[in-house]
Formats: sequence, C-alpha cells, structure tokens
Amino acid sequence: MRLRIRPELLVFLAPAFTLIIVFFVAPLILSFYVSFTHLESWDLRDMRLWTAENRTLLYNYYRLFYMLTHDPDMQKVVLTTIAFTFITLVLNVLGGLGLALAAYLIEERLSTLFRSLWLLPRLTPVAVYALLWYYFFLGGPQGTLNALLMALGVIRKPVDWGFASPPLGPWAVIIYVNALVGVSFGMIIFYSALKSVPWEHVIAARVDGASTLQVVRYILIPSLRWHIMFVTVWQLLSLLTTYAHIFLLVDWGLVDRWWSTTWSLYVFMKAFYTGAGETTDQGLAAAAATILVAIGAALGLITLRLMRFHEAMTEPRGEV
Amino acid sequence: MLSLRGLFSRREGRVEERRDVETVSVTRRTIVLSAILGAASLPLVLVYVLLVLTSFSKDVVTGVELLQGRGVEWTLANWAALLSGQLSTILPGTVTVNIYSAILNTLLIAFGVMVVVVVASTLAGYAFSRMRFPGRRGLMQFIILLHAFPGVALLIGVYMVYLWLLNAFFARAPGLRDAYVIAYTILARASLEIPMSIWLMKGFFDKIPWEVEWSALVDGASRLRVWWEILLPQVKPGIAALAIFSFLAGWEDFVYVYVFTYLGTGGRMFTLATLIEQLVSRIETAELPLAAAAGVLYLLPTLIFFILTQRLLLEAYAGGVKG
Repeated sequence: MRLRIRPELLVFLAPAFTLIIVFFVAPLILSFYVSFTHLESWDLRDMRLWTAENRTLLYNYYRLFYMLTHDPDMQKVVLTTIAFTFITLVLNVLGGLGLALAAYLIEERLSTLFRSLWLLPRLTPVAVYALLWYYFFLGGPQGTLNALLMALGVIRKPVDWGFASPPLGPWAVIIYVNALVGVSFGMIIFYSALKSVPWEHVIAARVDGASTLQVVRYILIPSLRWHIMFVTVWQLLSLLTTYAHIFLLVDWGLVDRWWSTTWSLYVFMKAFYTGAGETTDQGLAAAAATILVAIGAALGLITLRLMRFHEAMTEPRGEV
Repeated sequence: MLSLRGLFSRREGRVEERRDVETVSVTRRTIVLSAILGAASLPLVLVYVLLVLTSFSKDVVTGVELLQGRGVEWTLANWAALLSGQLSTILPGTVTVNIYSAILNTLLIAFGVMVVVVVASTLAGYAFSRMRFPGRRGLMQFIILLHAFPGVALLIGVYMVYLWLLNAFFARAPGLRDAYVIAYTILARASLEIPMSIWLMKGFFDKIPWEVEWSALVDGASRLRVWWEILLPQVKPGIAALAIFSFLAGWEDFVYVYVFTYLGTGGRMFTLATLIEQLVSRIETAELPLAAAAGVLYLLPTLIFFILTQRLLLEAYAGGVKG
C-alpha cells in the first residue's frame, strides 16, 4: 500500500506541531546557540560569539568548568543537586509505594480519601504550596514548626530551619517540601498497577495461610517490578528539572541560597534572577542548561524503553 | 510492564468481590493502616488549615495558641484589604496592585491554556489514533521525549523570542503589548502540556469503536467532519478531563507567569502567583496574614475543581503529571 500525506492530516497535526516547533524545537536550538555567546542581562543587541579578550567558542563551558573546580558556591550547588535528587527520589518511590499499598489494603472509601488528599500538593498552585511551607518552616516564633516544638518543650528558642547546621537544615526543608509533591505520582501508578494484580493470586496465598505482610512481600511488590523502575526513572528526570517551589523558598529568604540551589534552579536564576546587585548571565545559564538537556535526553530514552512503547502504538484500524 | 493506555483504563468493579472472599478482618487492618496514614498526612492537612485560619487573623496562626486556649485576634481586615485592592493601606511603601486585574490575568491565562491545549490535542490525538502516515511512531516517541524535557533549558530560548517580538512589534503600542504578553504566556505554557495531552486524547480515541466512523468515511464524509460529528461527542469525558487538567495547569503555574508577565513587563503586570511572590518577598512578617488571604483566594478554584472531580482526577491524572 502506498502511503501519502494528505492535506487533512496536516489540518489535524498543524496546531500541535506548530506549537511544538515554536516552543520546543526552536528554543532548544536558540538555547544551545546562546551557550556559545556572551549574552548578558538579556541585551539581545550584543550577542557576540567571541570578544577581543576571549577568542573561544567554549568560553561559557570553560567558565562553568572553572567554577565547578574553584567556586565554593558552585560546589554547594552540585552537592545539593545530588543530595536533593537522590534523597527525594528514594522518599518519593518508597513513599508512593507505601501509600499505594496502604490504600490498596484499606477500605475503599478511606482509600479514596487518602489518595485524593495526597494528590492535593500536586494540584495546589506553586506559589500557594510554597507559601504553606514558608509559614511552617518560618524561622521566628511565628513559624508553625517552631511554635509546636517550643510548646512541647523540645526547643527553647526558635530555630531558623532553612539555615540551621548547613547543609542539613536547608536540605531537609527542600527535600520535605518536594517529596510531598512527588509521592502522588508513584502512588497513582502503583495503585492502578496493584488493582490489576489478579485477585486469585492473593486469595491463593491467603488460603495457604499467608499474612498480609507476606502477601505484600511475595505477591504485590514483585508484581510492581516494572512500575517501580518506571517511576524511579521518571521521577529522577522530574526532580532534575523541578525548581519552581525551591525558587520561591530561596527568593523569600526561607532557606540558605546555595545550600538549596539545585542545578536547574541555578540555570533559572542565572538566566532570570536579579536580586541584590546580581546580574543575569544567559551565556553561562545556557551552558549549564545544555548539560541538563544531555542528562535529560538520556533518561528520557531509558523511560521510553521502560514504557514498552510499542504496546501503546496499535495500528489504526479505521483506515480507508 | 506499563503502557500509557493502560493508565487510563477504567477500574474494574472488583471492590465487592474482594470483600466477599476476604479471610482476614479488613476492619482491623483498615484501622491500623489508616492511623499510620493519618499520622503521615497530619502535617499536610495542618498547613492548609492554618493558611485559611491565618487569612482571618491579625497574626500568623500556628495552631499552638488554639490548643492552649489562648485567643486569636480574628479579623476580616486582610480580606477587606485584598478585595478592595488597597494593599497600600496595610503595606508600607508603594505596593498598589489592582487585585481584580491580577485575578483577571490569571483567569485569562488559565482559560487560554485550556482552549489551546484542548483544540490542539483533540486534533492531533485523533490523527495519531486513527490515521496512518509515515513517521507516526517516530513522532509519538518524540512527543514522549518532549514531555520529559528540562523546561528550564527551553525557557531561555522562549524568552529570547518573546523579547524579540516585544521589541519589534509591541514596544510602542501599550494596549497591544499587554494582549501580546498574555497571548504569548498562554501559548508558551500550553505548549508544555501538549505532548502529554496528545497521548491522553489518543488513548481516549483508541477506545472508541471505529465501525460508525468507517461507514461514514466510506460514504464519503471528510475526516474533519467525522472527527467533529462522530468522534468528538464520544470522547466528551476525555475532553472534560483534559479541559480540567489544562485549566489547572494554567492556573497553578508560577514560572511562566513570573518570567513573561512579571519580569517581561518590568513588574507592571500581575497575576495571583506573582502577587503572592511579591507580597511575601516585600513585606514584614507582621503582614503575612495578607499573603495568606491572597493564597486562599488563589487556592479556591483549585479546591473546588478538586472536590468536584476527585475521582476523575485520580483515574486520569496518572499520565499527565510532572514533578
């Protein structure tokens, strides 16, 4: 059969793919180009590829490398990125698994209640969600956590959580805040997977006298192998690229700037943030973004394999 | 293993069946696990409740004063100040924000994102579900990769284009400029949702039997007519779910509105998100209740949708999530 592209196909695809080309493909190429320029403070008239002093295309990449090896703030960013990503990842996957299992094992109505509740952080507007935890971890006596712990007599004076014994304090805050958003992804995927575990398997084990824990350990969790892998990779990717909540916490001065800045937040702030005496440097930001893209693309390809793409791509049947 | 289509399939009615054959007391297990879940959920519930209480109080409510029986000075002043838009009466300095234009901007962006996403992905979703063309598989894979893409890397390029167009065409036309800023924000934010939405809609189209459509095509109806008259009425639940997701995505967004409507206009234009960002970064702790009121106002539509569409969200959210 000969395949040809019909005009009506273009009608169906044009809106979506125009947007994809304008807002994904073109910006990616532009960002990559910017990573070789000296673009600063968004002065688009001055986008030279090289200047009199620096006659190299890789200027921004050299600078980035130099900062990685010499700038203590930049080293904090790298450590924070690694610690934040991995600890939050583990909490997200285990938390999601725990929530899904608990929701699976309890009565239906309560299960819906809890699952909905844990979806809430994801749906809450970013600015409101950050605000909620801003009040909670606030350094003064007005901070919820401080007030509670002081009333209980655990601490005498209010603790400035976002700055306490760095890096532990700031890390704990940003990890906790983001982990609560992330668990719902694993919860939803694991829960729907648990629902499709053949009930006969559980019954058979029950008849043989298995306890709930044994059912979980030997039947439910093994059947989630692939889902756990998928959620892990997908969440890893998401955590590498999330920064909105942390940005607000840094912006509001709740947490130590450098012990809370992850790689993607660093890119964002280098490109857009003009705090006290700070100027933006898009060339450097774009170079840092390129590294992120490379990691993202690799993880994306792994995810694609895990999703067993081909199963979801049944051939169209209504073809004439 | 996992297929995206599977994520959206309806749950089977297994609930009753489970109860009948269960040999261990569900009640005891439910009580123990619910207690654990409840304890883990407590801080989460607490922060939302405290936000609402604080919005009606003179000082930040920590909950401790309520437990200890100390009084909280309740007041409507925060809400009055917020809704009258006279933030400067409470705040020192020059914060005069038209709260209604902030609400309007937020609404416009959310609605805009919804319309763009629904139109573009119901069209493309149909093509991927029903039409055979070269590069179909490759494009679908490409779309998944896009969904997984680091948004911050794109933002630099997207903002460059924004600035170019702004300087070239809209710098001297203030009225048009605001319309441009909103429109650009909508298109840029909607694009982020497009990849996953195409997958979502493709999944919904895949489940529709093709016989009726096929006979219409044989009778000579055009693809567009078939899509509009036969397919769309059948995927109404899917479109509703997609509309809610994309509206909420436009509504909850911070980064795009911050960059395009706030930074891009030199701080002239506000949405609820950037208003809160500014309230907290500018004011003394004593005025935090005002930010809480703005937060509650901003949270309301989300909560309403959330309560009304819980089930739908739980079932269909799986594919459209990030973070």
